[in-house]
Amino acid sequence: MSDTPVIPEEPIQKARHPFVEAWEMFRRNHAAVVALAVLVLIILGAIFGPILYATDPFEMVWAPFSPPGVDGYLLGTDYLGRDMMAMVLNGARVSLLIGLAAAVVSVVIGVTVGALAGFYRGLVEEVLMRITEFFQVLPTLLFSMVIVALFGASLPMITFAIGVVSWTAVARITRSEFLRIRELEYVTASRASGVKNLRLMFKVILPNALPPIIVQSALMVGSAILFEAGLSFLGLTDPNIVSWGQIIGSNRQYILDASFTVTIPGLAIFVTVLAISLVGDGLNDALNPKLRQR
Amino acid sequence: MTEPLLKVENLRIELKLRDGVAPVIDDLSFELMPGESLSFVGESGCGKSMTALAIMGLLPEGIGRIASGKLIFDGEDLTTASEARLRQIRGNEISMIFQEPMTSLNPVITVGEQIAEVLRTHQGLSRKAAWDQAAELLDAVRIPNPRSRVSDYPFQMSGGQRQRVMIAIALACKPKILIADEPTTALDVTVQAQIFDLLRDLRAQTGTSIIMITHDMGAVAEMAERMIVMYAGRKAEIGPVDQIIDHARHPYTQGLISCVPHIMSDLTETREELTEVPGIVPSLREFGRDQCLFASRCKYRSGECLQHRPPAKGFGNGQISDCWHAEAL
Amino acid sequence: MSETENKPLLDVENLTVRFEVSRGGSWGKRSYLYAVDDVSFTVKRGETLAVVGESGSGKTTTALAVARLVPAYEGAVKVGGTDILGLEGEALRKARQRVQFIFQDPYSSLNPRQRAEAIVREPLDSLSTKSEAEKQEIVDRLFAAVGLRKEQQRLFPHQFSGGQRQRIGIARALATQPELIICDEPVSALDVAVQAQILNLLRRLQAEFGLTYLFISHDLGVVQHMCDSIAVMYMGKVVEHADRLSLFNNPLHPYTAALLSAVPSVDRARREATRRILIPGDPPDPVNMPKGCRFASRCPVAEARCRESAPDLRDVGGGHRVACHLVDERAVSPLAALT
Repeated sequence: MSDTPVIPEEPIQKARHPFVEAWEMFRRNHAAVVALAVLVLIILGAIFGPILYATDPFEMVWAPFSPPGVDGYLLGTDYLGRDMMAMVLNGARVSLLIGLAAAVVSVVIGVTVGALAGFYRGLVEEVLMRITEFFQVLPTLLFSMVIVALFGASLPMITFAIGVVSWTAVARITRSEFLRIRELEYVTASRASGVKNLRLMFKVILPNALPPIIVQSALMVGSAILFEAGLSFLGLTDPNIVSWGQIIGSNRQYILDASFTVTIPGLAIFVTVLAISLVGDGLNDALNPKLRQR
Repeated sequence: MTEPLLKVENLRIELKLRDGVAPVIDDLSFELMPGESLSFVGESGCGKSMTALAIMGLLPEGIGRIASGKLIFDGEDLTTASEARLRQIRGNEISMIFQEPMTSLNPVITVGEQIAEVLRTHQGLSRKAAWDQAAELLDAVRIPNPRSRVSDYPFQMSGGQRQRVMIAIALACKPKILIADEPTTALDVTVQAQIFDLLRDLRAQTGTSIIMITHDMGAVAEMAERMIVMYAGRKAEIGPVDQIIDHARHPYTQGLISCVPHIMSDLTETREELTEVPGIVPSLREFGRDQCLFASRCKYRSGECLQHRPPAKGFGNGQISDCWHAEAL
Repeated sequence: MSETENKPLLDVENLTVRFEVSRGGSWGKRSYLYAVDDVSFTVKRGETLAVVGESGSGKTTTALAVARLVPAYEGAVKVGGTDILGLEGEALRKARQRVQFIFQDPYSSLNPRQRAEAIVREPLDSLSTKSEAEKQEIVDRLFAAVGLRKEQQRLFPHQFSGGQRQRIGIARALATQPELIICDEPVSALDVAVQAQILNLLRRLQAEFGLTYLFISHDLGVVQHMCDSIAVMYMGKVVEHADRLSLFNNPLHPYTAALLSAVPSVDRARREATRRILIPGDPPDPVNMPKGCRFASRCPVAEARCRESAPDLRDVGGGHRVACHLVDERAVSPLAALT
């Protein structure tokens, strides 16, 4: 052959951060993108709303049951003549905060329990999973009502009560992911490299177990908001704070006379939880590596 | 001269990608004689399995389609046949066995029932007759105690036995063509040898043509009379197995043969470095270009390789190589 | 060669690995699966020993036990004279620097959340006390040694092809400058054309760094190319152990002969010369192993004594060791009588 042999090289790809890739995948789920925009609006409203619209949500400002748009009150007034707009904006803070905080509580408990059970197996797993099952079979609403009734209806206690009853799902997901991943060769490879157990658990296995946990936590924020609404509706809440559930609860007797006092916060809960679910769905697409190569 | 059983003419299969289409099979023509054993060889991603799926009429729906060309089976063009007709042919006149015997069997149904079902649907046998024949088929694929094993579930069998059951199912209706897609890749080498023996004997007894898809040149040498080397959706070389192994006329074929350390009859102390085929198979996006797709990995590459698709060049006995430098090799 | 040639680097003595299996679920009754049963072999410094066998032979478990990645039940694994099975803590980490592992599946053996450079650096991070600058220099050198480019250090595993991924795995195994590298089926998950690249690389690195390989494989063609001596395993036992030429040219154990005869070959001369030795049936239940030779149920020449007592692995001359009652000092294959 007269040609000089050329040794071609394999093409190399550009380094792209996994976050960039995840965003690419997320973007393809249009519903999730819209939901994300809505969610961002709601969060901005919760943060800046009460500052820009500085009406005290507890103060009687006008005659009760003033319908939305009338007399300068965009969302009307409730049965005590309080400004609904101020209540919904302030309630958003509380509802979102409780939702987030409760999700964080349950993720911390759930991941710790699931990681220990899935990593160490054996007796540790037996004990931890029996405890998990114990919490799973508790009637959740009843249990959190007992906690709140016993320890008082303060914001941290409500958050804790919701977190304590909802961590089991996270624990189960984390455990099953740990069980799967600990058998993969790269974990064995890390052990062969002398990596210590704690680092193995949280630096090697956990990051790879995160996608389903993240999706589950996102959905958990939504369900925690619903849970809080349920507790407030039953009156198990701090009377010195407004939350969406509490607005519904306190106006429930007037649902026939002034339905807007219930539907407006109800709609707020509905839109927020739906948006969170759709974002969770989008996250599932974005973080699920099986879909990535399409 | 007998008529070919299967005649593939200028077959082109397109696969839908996110941005456009890619020809996963590009202008493929070949013939399969009755009773012949033909092998498709190549790395993964070269379109070997796609050809088989096209013949079976099992291209992934909505993603892959036959864009042009003909698949003439026993005088009938399968590309224009109705779905109902294809179903009749599938499993009856052309059947297929897959790589993974673990997942190709239904885990909750006994193996006897799985064989009998094929016989009942395609041959209209009664329940009793189908069951009896299932046991006979298990015997034919050399599973010991077929009368009792026929009511076993797949998990009660070893990998090799499951693959035998798959062969029994495939052969249930005495097909004219048996397509084996990497039938032994998941199996141990001694089991592979048994499966090869079985396929060879069954072919001798029933006269079934066999199309075997593999990446293993050794397996081709053992099993096939003719081979088709596929690269990036195109035929690289076709011809009689022994002739190609003795003198391959395509650099890819040469690479496939010499990059694997074979056990030779005269083993010596010295061991040469293996010939490397650098790089990897191009991505689907690059399929279909008007150039030699192997050029990026080829040490004989010259200007024309990059400008035009190489023409087919014949070398007697039906050996054809699609390479600009075929004569010089 | 120098005088170090005769000193074995790895000396495995009576290694046994067993797993507890639950059968039937009755309390208190335990049965064990002896995945590796009383296995002994040595590997000389700078050489390659292949452990071959089919699925269920215990070859991978042997490899993992030698690397302290599964616990051994009994026996000793001596690396350069010290038994590493009893080591814990700092001493074990010292030993790990000397023994590294290359895994079978380049897709699952790299952490998808780590960049290539971090993967290669991981053994240094946990086993060495080198400075960051030194580590980076080592990583740079390793990338060059395995044929990857510097720009690729920042990439994540899924941005590499299978062959490139295996190169990363090899670089990781080389990071602590080990003496012994255990290669567990390093090419069986790769495409044929890529296998050659990796096999050539492994041989080049062996020559360059004076490495000793324990090479686990089911592919006799690859083994024949890579190894100086071979141990054939069947059902947790070594049935034959010999240097490359003796084993391939004069396989003495009937199982080895069957295994060799089953390998398809492109060499017409070999195809015509080999007579296929069929071994019908399936291997015995690994939990209830027969008391005699484990191969007896499938062996074409088995006799009554084979089913009665298990044969020991013994030297039949020239270091060729076989575990078969029917092979004596004349080192003639018992299958020769068949024809």
